[in-house]
Amino acid sequence: MKNTALAFIFVYIALVSTLSNAHHVLGRPSYSLNEDSNTPPSMAIETQIGEYFITYMVFPAFPKPNEPGRVNLYATRIDNGEVLAQPITFSVRDDSFFTETLGFGQAESSEQIGVQTIDDGVYRQGFLFRKKGNYIVRAYFEDGGEPYEIDFPLQVGESSPIGPIGATIGFIFFLLLSINIAQRKRIARSKVQQGQSVR
Amino acid sequence: MNEPLNSINAKPFFLWKHLNKLRWLTLSVVFLMLILIPLLSIYQHYVAAQGYNHLSPSETLLYDSMEFISAPFVDDAEHDLDAIKGTTWSGQLFGVKLTDPLAVIGQVSAGFEVYWPFALTALLPVIATVIFGRFFCGWICPATFLYELNSNASVWLNKFGLKSGSRRFNRKFKYLVLAVGIGLSAFTGTVLFASVYPPAVLGRELYFSIALSGFGSGTLFFVLTLLFDSLVSKRGFCRYLCPGGALYSLLGRYRVFRIKRLVEQCNDCSKCNAVCEFGLNPMQDDFGGECNSCSACIAVCPKDAMTFTLAIADSKNQGPGHQSRTYRKNEKHPKSPTAKDPCINIQNID
Repeated sequence: MKNTALAFIFVYIALVSTLSNAHHVLGRPSYSLNEDSNTPPSMAIETQIGEYFITYMVFPAFPKPNEPGRVNLYATRIDNGEVLAQPITFSVRDDSFFTETLGFGQAESSEQIGVQTIDDGVYRQGFLFRKKGNYIVRAYFEDGGEPYEIDFPLQVGESSPIGPIGATIGFIFFLLLSINIAQRKRIARSKVQQGQSVR
Repeated sequence: MNEPLNSINAKPFFLWKHLNKLRWLTLSVVFLMLILIPLLSIYQHYVAAQGYNHLSPSETLLYDSMEFISAPFVDDAEHDLDAIKGTTWSGQLFGVKLTDPLAVIGQVSAGFEVYWPFALTALLPVIATVIFGRFFCGWICPATFLYELNSNASVWLNKFGLKSGSRRFNRKFKYLVLAVGIGLSAFTGTVLFASVYPPAVLGRELYFSIALSGFGSGTLFFVLTLLFDSLVSKRGFCRYLCPGGALYSLLGRYRVFRIKRLVEQCNDCSKCNAVCEFGLNPMQDDFGGECNSCSACIAVCPKDAMTFTLAIADSKNQGPGHQSRTYRKNEKHPKSPTAKDPCINIQNID
């Protein structure tokens, strides 16, 4: 009994103490106009990391395979609004479940797509994806001797409605619900019988 | 003040008997809301983008479904749907901002200051807990919905020889978890409760999975708590580890609205004890701060000997139920050994 309790406490503390070692940003679509044209909506993300306030935009909001798109990134200091002047390296990696989480699939998981310098207050990085999927775009720069790594999600093409984890969890939930509804009277009886025999 | 909410020696108010069904309905609605809110949020974005023509077929289906659901209630979906946001951890319901008191405790301990606009959003839940006790755990917590489904499924699986865990630990352990959580939050400057508090984890993971198509480590954590409940101790997480449960138990210790046993009608059948998810002992008037007012004991009682009452403390052990054989025996032979300890041999009677 003690061992089980200790094991559980260990898992509990391990989960509490898990620290994320990258700044992984989840965004929400924002539908501002492109400064070049008035057509495509964009995915926009705003976040703070270290000394900087970062704004990230994707054009278009729903990029498709074999259609060019672009990332715009703005980085300004939180304290005085000064614009970052260091080059930013953009790389991309596959974020689908089997490659990212389980480590299957392509061995070459990360690919550099460009190094950009600031242009009129903005870092612009073009991209063209051949295959649909979920990707992570990483912006990397160094400032004040500190490395900055910011991961942004990017979905290319239509997303799959449900992944393997979702399917498993959905199945477990459906199973629990079905048992509870179909066997509710038997469960109620058993509960009383088992409870009385235990006490 | 310690009077049942119906006249003494009468049957409990008839609705009390059906409260457990209402509770299941409430839990289901809260859980469905946690699924619906991210879907509505996505729909809001589509509306704001005026991007119907850019959507894929599955997205169009989502747009149409959410429009169908929300149209009777809102004129301007883009803005009006802001009235319902968030999760049970912190959210907005028809414009009223509500926060779990544990979130405020976490924020205060992590930041070493009280941010009053935020702290005040926990006022309503605190007042409700002071009145109704740990009702959040029984009536609102989305994790309870899954934990109870899981607990019932374990009972069913017992029939096939798959024994569920029935170990008991010290209930006070969760207070230690609460204290350690506060200490760690202060030390790290992070609201750590959000990582280990099942309703917060569940709300966040549901939002992630639906709105952002992904799961975090919280999903694994929640599955572990389900396994702990099934294999180690029935409803073990809520009873022994949940920091929110600890906080609600403390706040609701002197709750005004509580369950009471009507000893005149009780026959000591112990069904109330058997169905109590938290392993309490209603048959011996032991509810304490732990009772979440789920009313399962009221629903199962064949003699209508359980009811709600207005009192700030439980009745002391009233002894065997007056309809029980033990009591009758004691009445006839008052010097018998069982008269000294009314709790002996009261199992499986009737």
